[in-house]
Amino acid sequence: MAYIKESAQGDILSGFGQGSQADDNLFDENTILVQRTLRSGQSVRYSGNVVILGDVNPGAEVTATGNIIVMGALRGVVHAGANGDETTVVMAFRLNPTQLRIANHITRPPDNEKVDMDLPEIARIKDGVVTIEAFQTGGERQGKAI
Amino acid sequence: MGEVIVITSGKGGVGKTTTTANIGTGLAAMGYKVALLDTDIGLRNLDVVLGLENRIVYDIVDVTSGNCRLKQALIKDKRLEGLHLLPAAQTKDKTAVSPEQMCQLCEDLKSDFDFVIIDCPAGIEQGFRNAIAGADKAVVVTTPEVSAVRDADRIIGLLEAADLREPKLIINRIRPKMVRQGDMMGIEDIIDILAVDLLGVIPEDEMIVITTNRGEPVVTDQNTRAGQAYQNIVRRVAGDEVPMMNLDEETGFFKKLKKIIGLK
Ligand SMILES: Nc1ncnc2c1ncn2[C@@H]1O[C@H](COP(=O)(O)OP(=O)(O)OP(=O)(O)O)[C@@H](O)[C@H]1O
Ligand SMILES: [Mg+2]
Repeated sequence: MAYIKESAQGDILSGFGQGSQADDNLFDENTILVQRTLRSGQSVRYSGNVVILGDVNPGAEVTATGNIIVMGALRGVVHAGANGDETTVVMAFRLNPTQLRIANHITRPPDNEKVDMDLPEIARIKDGVVTIEAFQTGGERQGKAI
Repeated sequence: MGEVIVITSGKGGVGKTTTTANIGTGLAAMGYKVALLDTDIGLRNLDVVLGLENRIVYDIVDVTSGNCRLKQALIKDKRLEGLHLLPAAQTKDKTAVSPEQMCQLCEDLKSDFDFVIIDCPAGIEQGFRNAIAGADKAVVVTTPEVSAVRDADRIIGLLEAADLREPKLIINRIRPKMVRQGDMMGIEDIIDILAVDLLGVIPEDEMIVITTNRGEPVVTDQNTRAGQAYQNIVRRVAGDEVPMMNLDEETGFFKKLKKIIGLK
């Protein structure tokens, strides 16, 4: 599992997973842990899963070939499954993205509706459309990732 | 050894120069020795806001390029003993100074002054990099507009990358009535996104325009709301604990008056 605390320039953080570890049974790809808030103009690009321990602010971007999990407010642009993997998900404590992409599906919140949900939500592709639901712990299995 | 504080914003016209002049004036009025540094080379303003334009002989580029000594270029304020200004050059551009020269300049000023306050130009290019190069602390100014907050967020990210951690925030030009009506971002909305400590909030106040045109920072007039708000910020910069001011103009004198004469 890759672990990066801070990028060198603070502006762009990018990398590629080194191929999955045999003992990693949570994710079948490499995972990067970003231990800070991504502010406007900052981006993370990673071949694998990305977990952000902070917010993703408007003007920030996260691109991952795997899943994206934001342990905070997601307000920027995210792209999960960037290589075309339609089974990937995006999850956030407050899912409020400017734009959300999974594989080659691009979605954005409706123009005049502002729903500020104060609970964790998960976005995934169901029957060919990006669907957003409240995130439930336990019980139902949350796709392949969680 | 003094402290170097850069006043920055990303977006232009949100009140950096006004804030630099007022914090500097306020600190000097408290008895501190203060140097103000205008790094907006090519668009020099701070001298005008302080009413010192006609005293400029040398500027920051003269100092960094060795045309004159630092002491020769520093202009003394006309009212306050401890206040000094190093003006920007007007006929050069931002590349006339390097970040390394700025670091040296800040070091030199720090040994002589309690506070060195730097007025940063708008933008994120060389002017910004120069302005923050020698700073110990940063203050980010924003207005309650989505674009200004976005730029403030970008700036905070760049400051953190340059190891200027935990910048403080000033929200300028807030209009409590518009916030109440839901037509303007509120303080909580802004803090929610930027997640930094609030140094103070300045209301929209036409007295800023009036005092700026007179070349007398509003902080010298404690009968104005903006003057009081800046005074609170000054005391916080100096290390005092000051509660946040209630900006709701309706709770002040006028509301009482209205009650008495039976309007509300
Ligand atoms: N609280 C306020 N109420 C009313 N007017 C204000 C307030 N704050 C600033 N202004 C006005 O806004 C204008 C811009 O302010 P100022 O020059 O301080 O901004 P700045 O960030 O330094 O701009 P620049 O990016 O061009 O250097 C000035 O005309 C000033 O008088
Ligand atoms: Mg200015």
